[in-house]
Amino acid sequence: MNGQLTAKKLAVRTASGLVVLIVVMAVCSLVGAEKVSLKAVVDSIGLREAVSPDYEIFVRVRMPRIFLAAIVGAALASSGVVCQALLRNPLADPYILGISSGAGLGAIIAVLSGLNWTFVGRSPIAVFAFAGALGTIWLVWFLGRLTGKFHVTGLLLAGVVVNTFFSALIMFLTLVAKSQQVYATIFWLMGNMIEEDFLVLWLGAGCVVAGILALFYIAPQLNALSFGENDARSMGVNTARTHIIAFGVAAFITAIAVSLSGLVGFVGLVVPHAVRLIFGPDHRQLLPMSGIIGAIFLVVADTFGRIVVAPAQLPVGVVTAIVGGPFFLVLLIKYGRKVSWLK
Amino acid sequence: MSAIIEVENLSFGYTPQSTVLRDISFVVMPGTFLAIAGPNGAGKSTLLNLLCGLLSPRSGTIRIDAAPVESYSTEALAKKVAVVWQEFIPVFGFSVIDTVMMARTPYYGPMGFESEADREIVAEALEATDTAGFALRPLGSLSAGERQRVFIARALAQNTPILLLDEPTNFLDLKHQVGIYDLLKTAQLQTGKTIVAVTHDINLAAQYCDEALLLGADSDYQCGPAGDVFSTEQITRVFGVKVFTGKVGKEKFFIPLGKFAKDNGQIGASPNS
Repeated sequence: MNGQLTAKKLAVRTASGLVVLIVVMAVCSLVGAEKVSLKAVVDSIGLREAVSPDYEIFVRVRMPRIFLAAIVGAALASSGVVCQALLRNPLADPYILGISSGAGLGAIIAVLSGLNWTFVGRSPIAVFAFAGALGTIWLVWFLGRLTGKFHVTGLLLAGVVVNTFFSALIMFLTLVAKSQQVYATIFWLMGNMIEEDFLVLWLGAGCVVAGILALFYIAPQLNALSFGENDARSMGVNTARTHIIAFGVAAFITAIAVSLSGLVGFVGLVVPHAVRLIFGPDHRQLLPMSGIIGAIFLVVADTFGRIVVAPAQLPVGVVTAIVGGPFFLVLLIKYGRKVSWLK
Repeated sequence: MSAIIEVENLSFGYTPQSTVLRDISFVVMPGTFLAIAGPNGAGKSTLLNLLCGLLSPRSGTIRIDAAPVESYSTEALAKKVAVVWQEFIPVFGFSVIDTVMMARTPYYGPMGFESEADREIVAEALEATDTAGFALRPLGSLSAGERQRVFIARALAQNTPILLLDEPTNFLDLKHQVGIYDLLKTAQLQTGKTIVAVTHDINLAAQYCDEALLLGADSDYQCGPAGDVFSTEQITRVFGVKVFTGKVGKEKFFIPLGKFAKDNGQIGASPNS
């Protein structure tokens, strides 16, 4: 039947999306406060000495940053898809179960501890934020399970409680900390795209791509789970296993994104909705397309942040909200009448 | 021929202190249409949950196709038993064909996509339930009756020998209630499916079902041919209401009579007239 998703259709759309992503990344690498000539970059390829400043900016500053934005955008958008599917809630995003406050608490503890080491090229703030994010999702899961078997409402309430409690702890620690230390944490939490270590970037990219592939593998089960637990089980879905894989992987790639870039809001909420409006709710398509479009969105948003008030820069979280909000509204008005969850 | 569903000395309670079902035994032969009826809280939906493995018995056994229900993996059980639950509309707008295609989830290959055979089975289910005409519409845009037909199409597309339904005519008007039972009866007669439906509608159950299980309070139950189980005495005793029993040809029908029913005394005085 026409309109049905097939493996071939998905392969063509995913490949086209990846081509667009690569083109967007290449174009954004050439744009910024400093003009970079593509010719100068190409001419410097292979040279050991006397490389042009354009090449230095392109390779050492722009490419890592754009690569990072793509990884974070893909991770947050895919994770948002999973959170909305499992919680059956259009307002869900990757931070809804307390990951943001857990990461924030980890970051502020790292700053207050005055630690001064690196782990796989990461500062204590990033490492503690990663551990805080994963620890929080485990805690929320554990508290949610105390209500009995897996229950969406129990999990959401546990997330709200943990979020509130950790936010209070963050405020308390902020009050007792010295202002300079607090500033470093707040700046980090606002979301930034600064990373020069390609090893870290490759590791991050590897984990995020593997995570999205794992989520794609359980996409048919996520489709069935959209109809509720009983329906999914009667359609042969091992719901307990699907929940553990989906939440575990989504939390893991979100924690990686947070440890790489701080807290970037809006992407995980809006990109899944935008992709759903255009391509429909089938998770087999929604997951890869959200990953790709999330990456494109954050690369473009970060580029705006670099050029709008150049030579100063806007935090990417501010740009995602300013650019993403109106863009999402346009989509909503154009396609909204076609979708049942808005009726 | 051996039974496709065997329930033996089944007991269940949600807490150790409470018992919803006590020592229930019955068998369902292949190709039978069984109605499960009874007052609220008698354990009808609980029994359905036990039959499809969502709940585990406190004691006793349930065998599906001669094997204990707990011996099946979730996927293997989904190839034996399909369930139509009380309506649940997903938050996100899946189309009718997306919804029905999901029935093929237990049969998907490693890449998670349906085969040509899956598509043919889904097309047949859409035709059988008269839902092909709006296959591309979002589920949320349909009327309650159309949606229920879609969920039955999904259960048919799961291609299982057993079909369980939890109050399939809830919220439907008379025309759609009859339409759903016609559809189920056709599926039973044409494909030999075993159908078990939890229902509050004794009249439709008496009309369409071969067998009935009437669950009462305090572990009281009756199982047998629908014509025998649905009698004036049983219904009055189990539901605690006076009923007027009428007959049109071979079909019995029951009208519950409340204390404000017009001419209550007169009608109640000659219940089988």
